[in-house]
Amino acid sequence: MGKLECSGDASLQNALELVLGYLNQIPSYGHREVLILYSALSTCDPGDLMETIQKCKKSKIRCSVIGLAAEMFICKHLSQETGGTYAVALDESHLKELVLEHAPPPPAIAEYATANLIKMGFPQRAAESAVAICTCHEEARIGGGYTCPRCKVRVCELPTECRICGLTLISSPHLARSYHHLFPIVPFDEVSQTPQNVSSHGFSSDCFGCQQSLLSQGNKPGLSVTCPKCKQHFCLDCDIYIHESLHNCPGCESFRHSNSTATRMV
Amino acid sequence: MPSAPSKLYSDDVSLLVVTLDTNPFFWSTFSFPFSEFLSHVLAFLNSILLLSQLNQVVVIATGCNSCTYLYDSSSDKSHGSTSGSMPSLYSDLLHNLEVFLARDQQLAKPWGNAAAGGGGAPPSSLLSGSLSMALCYIQRAFRSGPIHPQPRILCLQGSADGPEQYVAIMNSIFSAQHSTVPIDSCYIGSNNSAFLQQASYITGGIYYRPPHLDGLFQYFSTVFATDLHSRAFLRLPKSVGVDFRASCFCHKQTIDMGYVCSVCLSIFCEHHDKCSTCGSVFGQSQSNVASSTNRKRKA
Repeated sequence: MGKLECSGDASLQNALELVLGYLNQIPSYGHREVLILYSALSTCDPGDLMETIQKCKKSKIRCSVIGLAAEMFICKHLSQETGGTYAVALDESHLKELVLEHAPPPPAIAEYATANLIKMGFPQRAAESAVAICTCHEEARIGGGYTCPRCKVRVCELPTECRICGLTLISSPHLARSYHHLFPIVPFDEVSQTPQNVSSHGFSSDCFGCQQSLLSQGNKPGLSVTCPKCKQHFCLDCDIYIHESLHNCPGCESFRHSNSTATRMV
Repeated sequence: MPSAPSKLYSDDVSLLVVTLDTNPFFWSTFSFPFSEFLSHVLAFLNSILLLSQLNQVVVIATGCNSCTYLYDSSSDKSHGSTSGSMPSLYSDLLHNLEVFLARDQQLAKPWGNAAAGGGGAPPSSLLSGSLSMALCYIQRAFRSGPIHPQPRILCLQGSADGPEQYVAIMNSIFSAQHSTVPIDSCYIGSNNSAFLQQASYITGGIYYRPPHLDGLFQYFSTVFATDLHSRAFLRLPKSVGVDFRASCFCHKQTIDMGYVCSVCLSIFCEHHDKCSTCGSVFGQSQSNVASSTNRKRKA
């Protein structure tokens, strides 16, 4: 990091040509995006910048810019043409906010990326004592590596593309991380505070997830929520945890023959 | 001089949440009797409570049709046996276990024929349910204050993996990884459990399949009783490989090579025209990566 220093003029066209070269290698089902952090007030280009912008638009690259100095027309034009966003940061915290806005992926446009079935391999991790020659370092390695299911060579880490047979290698947890978006859990309903609930058979005095007492002082029911599918009661903290981190309803998972398990696809 | 309360809380205080597999379909056909297994487990839990005054133990039963809390050492609801002959750990746990097993069996009755006759494999236990409950309890422990025991989960499992629970178990594993809660697994079934291997690998726990079940207590006390602080300088069993294979969405079989939908990432074992999860139609004109690589190699 110590060797990086600023010199010369900023060039949007050179940056975009470089990006075009990299992103054109991405297969058609991938989404192409570039985020430019721009603090210069001009751009010094070797050719026609408008032509490069049209090339980006044709390659379906979504260009977004975050300006650090002042608003520039060329950045606005670039982001408008390619469907990206342009914002100028007012101060440090605003800059952080603007950068983090780009963290979740943008809504995908169906025509831009055609759906495809990609052939992938799911290698097994070898035991700690296994010895093999790994293809990435080209030397013998002891210990944890992965075996390509098609050509049986060792690779060091996942995800990667097998050097010998070209198969994309991935581990199932990599894909499973996003499955909670496919099968979301329904929001829980709030339980009303009427006195009838105390004596009704449906009301339990403990949260199903963490066993914390749902009764506030004086044995009156405190705030709680209930899952519409399995009808179990949860405290508010469990509700937040379940919907934000766990993505599983403990009640629905703990009963085999409830409606929720019958309708699940996986 | 540190004040007395903080001195009591040393690094090795742990909160151990145990998920105990009580699947009757597994235990009825297994060579090792459940009663003997339970005696090893109870001795082990007692030893955990003896290691430190501040250690906490919670036991959750993983049944075939339901899951429930069996014992919580920190709850004030525990009442020892009336005659005082057994400590509350044993009497409470055994009493709750009996009640749970009866209820679990009752829940199976209307579907009993379907469960036993459906497919060749015995029904699996609801590991996803007990893991979710364990994680909710651990979140409650985190909320209890700035000083709290270090939580970990121990899965005592014998039943085979249920492929229908794949997504739920993976969600629990990622949530545990996010909260830095290791999931240890002691698997006593016949073949290794891919789900538990992945769980222990991803969360930084230990997966161990004891070779001799008569000495189960010894494996428990030397491997699984170790607290997280001590694991840094103890030599624990190394992993014998992790099975990262996925199960396909169409047949639930484990596959090591498959097709992945580019939109929703569902896994299929054979080529389909349409994704069953997200409904996207796969483009005919676009060639997939495999065929383009083949063309490169042939050229």
